Amino acid sequence: MIRRAQPWLGTLVDITITAPDDDVVMAARAIDAAFAVVGLVHRLMSFHDAASDVGLINQLATGKDCRVDAHTARVLRCALLLQEASGGLFDIACADALMAWGQLPVVGNGAAADATGGSMVVLAVAEDNRVIRLREGAIDLGGIAKGYAVDQAVDTLQAAGVTAGIVNAGGDLRTWGAPGMLVAIRDPDAPRRAGRMLQLQDCALATSAGYFSRRQVDGVDTCALVDTRTGRPVLHGRSVSVMAPTCMLADGLTKPIIASVDPRHPVLARFDATAFVL
Amino acid sequence: MMNLRFHAMQPVLVLTAGVAAGMVAPAFATQYLSVEQAQRVLFPDATAFKDAGLQLSTEQMHAVEKLAGLPARSVGWRVFAAYRDSTLLGHVVVDDVVGKYELIGYAVALSPQAVVQQVEILSYRESHGFEIRSPAWRRQFAGKTAQAGLAVGDGIANISGATLSCTHVTDGVRRIAAVAQVALKPA
Repeated sequence: MIRRAQPWLGTLVDITITAPDDDVVMAARAIDAAFAVVGLVHRLMSFHDAASDVGLINQLATGKDCRVDAHTARVLRCALLLQEASGGLFDIACADALMAWGQLPVVGNGAAADATGGSMVVLAVAEDNRVIRLREGAIDLGGIAKGYAVDQAVDTLQAAGVTAGIVNAGGDLRTWGAPGMLVAIRDPDAPRRAGRMLQLQDCALATSAGYFSRRQVDGVDTCALVDTRTGRPVLHGRSVSVMAPTCMLADGLTKPIIASVDPRHPVLARFDATAFVL
Repeated sequence: MMNLRFHAMQPVLVLTAGVAAGMVAPAFATQYLSVEQAQRVLFPDATAFKDAGLQLSTEQMHAVEKLAGLPARSVGWRVFAAYRDSTLLGHVVVDDVVGKYELIGYAVALSPQAVVQQVEILSYRESHGFEIRSPAWRRQFAGKTAQAGLAVGDGIANISGATLSCTHVTDGVRRIAAVAQVALKPA
């Protein structure tokens, strides 16, 4: 086993692969290539960087368009599909609320008027990867980009001939190859402890919970998870894990499930996913 | 269609070991690379690494704070110079940061012009809570490597949970970039 980690996407991205004789340098090339694609996703989809694709989209006036990288277009298309399939419970246009709650730095003109709830489609993606701004509303891909980066890293490692491993971006992870990997799910009541252990093989898993992002702003509890129906933070204290064919889907699908606390929500079946709540 | 296999096992309680008297063991810990392994990963073409530890002057500390917008924190910095024969390839700076729940060791590779090239995490440890702030708790990890008996959590491949922010590492890298500009960049 060779295991390395680098800081990307606001968290630690951890790559473990099996290699013939545990030679760190020999496996380094494949892992370097995987981290390079994670770094690319980070640069394209950073909320904080005004020059990223997300930064450009957030500066677009209504009716204007800009061209984005094919990676960004792919993530945006998946985000729009998840938004439609979840009846708006998944929504990337939640950044105004997150800025108002101090969960994201204030960019552009800052947070729009107080979040009132209700999901609206704020952009469209054309076939030539142009993004057209339909309505106001700052977007953040923090709820899906980590999963996409994991998928890209796994594809890169598989293409390099790595037969088994796991890529984990702050809890959004995907495993491939035998004999599978042991994964601990944090106990939401004591997040520094394992609440459950799973043996995973050829599977993506993502977990969402508010325990590390919960904080008070002006005496009001907030966290990094928004219930799009009400515009309020998700503060019920539970943890939701989703298993799906890709990590982008697993990552994105945790949001409708953590908002609804319904591990049998119909959106899961549409994407061949399952969920459990701790 | 991908073959999804998923085996739920009995809930298992915490994976900790070696709880010494008066000290709580960390819940999750991973050793990624030793300092020597990190040197080879960061500068695979290097033929030699030389100790180039820094002691910052007061003026340099102030310059670092101004550049980084953060407290300079340390006078002494653990630095290695990477050489291919007699050519300087760059530097490796080794540091650790303490967050609310975690202690993270990491190494930063810098070009000879003091530009950050790559960051590698060396070790990651979580506490059960308060004790990470205690110097005694931190000391137990000082200078340890993968071979030094830090097997806690080795059976745990990975953790899935809400994202633990790596703000402290990001700040630490920014501070090291400033240290390098002030003290490692050729005049």
